[in-house]
Amino acid sequence: MPMEMPQHAKERLKGLRSSVHSAGVFTSDFSVNEFLLVRKAGFEPIGLCVGSCVYHVGIQYGSWNKNQELDVLSKAMYHARELALTRMRAEATAMGADGIVGVKLTIKRLEWDAQLLEFIAIGTGVVHGDGHKGFRAHDGGPFTSDLSGQDFWSLLHAGYRPVEMVMGSCVYHVAHRGLLASLGSVGRNVELENFTAAMYEAREIAIDRMQAEAGAAKAEGVVGVDMHEGSHAWQSHVIEFFAIGTAVLPLEQEIAPEKIADPIMVLSVND
Amino acid sequence: MTVGFFDRFTGGGPEAQAAREASAKRQEQIKYALLTDSVAPGARRRLEGARSGSLPWIATLTPAELLITRSHGIKPIASVSATCWMHYGWSWTLGHQQGWQTALRRLREEARVAGANAVLDVKMRTVPLRVEESMDFTLVGTAVRVEGLPPSEEPIVATVPALEFVKLLDADVVPTGIAVGAHYEWYADWQGDANKRWMGNVESVQLSRLWERVRQRAHADLRKHARDQGNGVLAHINFSQMFEGEGSEALRSKQYLARHIVIATTVDARRGARFSHEINIAVDMHAGGTPLTGTARHHQSYQVNEEEGGI
Repeated sequence: MPMEMPQHAKERLKGLRSSVHSAGVFTSDFSVNEFLLVRKAGFEPIGLCVGSCVYHVGIQYGSWNKNQELDVLSKAMYHARELALTRMRAEATAMGADGIVGVKLTIKRLEWDAQLLEFIAIGTGVVHGDGHKGFRAHDGGPFTSDLSGQDFWSLLHAGYRPVEMVMGSCVYHVAHRGLLASLGSVGRNVELENFTAAMYEAREIAIDRMQAEAGAAKAEGVVGVDMHEGSHAWQSHVIEFFAIGTAVLPLEQEIAPEKIADPIMVLSVND
Repeated sequence: MTVGFFDRFTGGGPEAQAAREASAKRQEQIKYALLTDSVAPGARRRLEGARSGSLPWIATLTPAELLITRSHGIKPIASVSATCWMHYGWSWTLGHQQGWQTALRRLREEARVAGANAVLDVKMRTVPLRVEESMDFTLVGTAVRVEGLPPSEEPIVATVPALEFVKLLDADVVPTGIAVGAHYEWYADWQGDANKRWMGNVESVQLSRLWERVRQRAHADLRKHARDQGNGVLAHINFSQMFEGEGSEALRSKQYLARHIVIATTVDARRGARFSHEINIAVDMHAGGTPLTGTARHHQSYQVNEEEGGI
């Protein structure tokens, strides 16, 4: 016995058009599963929001034998991302979105100039199907999040809502070792406390900044934090620590808390 | 006497002569069909045969997919395909728009001849041949009919596999076709504004704006072309490039080319219709990523030989 198909789907399969779409076309880069889950969560996608920024990153050299943050580079990496995200959010605001789901942040090098970096933020603007405005960020604008459609559904059912994509960046120069120090450790296993300290400091700065952003967004916590260590073709001892995550707040009213069940254990026989 | 495989092409016997003539005739028929927006007699025979059941049905679906489609009363008819090989003498960027749209129209025509309601699992293909500033835009898929429905005059084209097709139908979302948005723009930098080589941290406002403009217009173009197929798109292919080139020699200026192509599956979604299936959370005990166990790599400190394969 075949399953019953929705009437509207049937008509379309017969080649009948229900209406001309005068209301406009939504755009999104969701996969099929993401699309279904975001709708299941009560939201409708309305349009892709894109923000980009081509940024010329200044030059800064660290002292050869000094651990230090390269604040020129830190600021560049942060400012450029912020510009891209702000523009993306402005597009979402313009289309009346309650939020942006599935933001992807990418950095691309432009081939003709080593210091020219292109930052792109892209995500899908969504509105709540019943016009509920309680999902917006603390400033009344759209929320932003890098959660996939699947993660978005799960987060809402976990009793939280996304508020803002938060990030922290720190570009750091790890000191070179002096000749004497190198000689002193020949034939011995020793910790290079300087290097260890550099990693600690750089990581802490990045996380600190991200946490401060979450605080400013009046969030309760940050989920899905990822720590990237990247080197954008800088000198050999220069590394960027970049922390990114989605700041969240508890829902005013939980969705079906009685239905939060233990996950079912399955064993798929896929190879 | 047996005729060797190569003899057919090199030999001058009557059989070879007849084969050459048949091939020439077929090609004439295909060219005529392309000009008249119809299906060539060879393909027509195959499609109509599959439609009436006098020829076996052909599906790109796996047995598991066949099972899923059966449960929704969907029956495969024939594999359908369409090609448009375009020379982009005028604009590479805009050629994509025309190439895919033409292929899509031809694919629908084949599906119509096959008596289909839809084409599933439509794949976009291009052969890796670089011939005189041109490329082919090819679509292949499986034409299917839905039990209890009359054949469609305008079969829908779904770029998604069978499983996703039925999931979408259950949610009252119909994937209907493919839409392309493309835009390119030149920016002549007379004053050298875009060149920030000797500056510190500063945005290259001209290039940022160029990007924004090109992307926005490509997406506007996408919406324009999606409108007659559905009320939304899932844009899975975003392709963009920017180049720097020499501008005016006298002024030693630079010019920049930015282009953006976005290709999407169009959908006809009933707004507000929710996916009625209950969603349960499952943990797959099989090895493999699940967000319930985190998605970040457990370590990256060692280059382990996981990729080398077993012995």
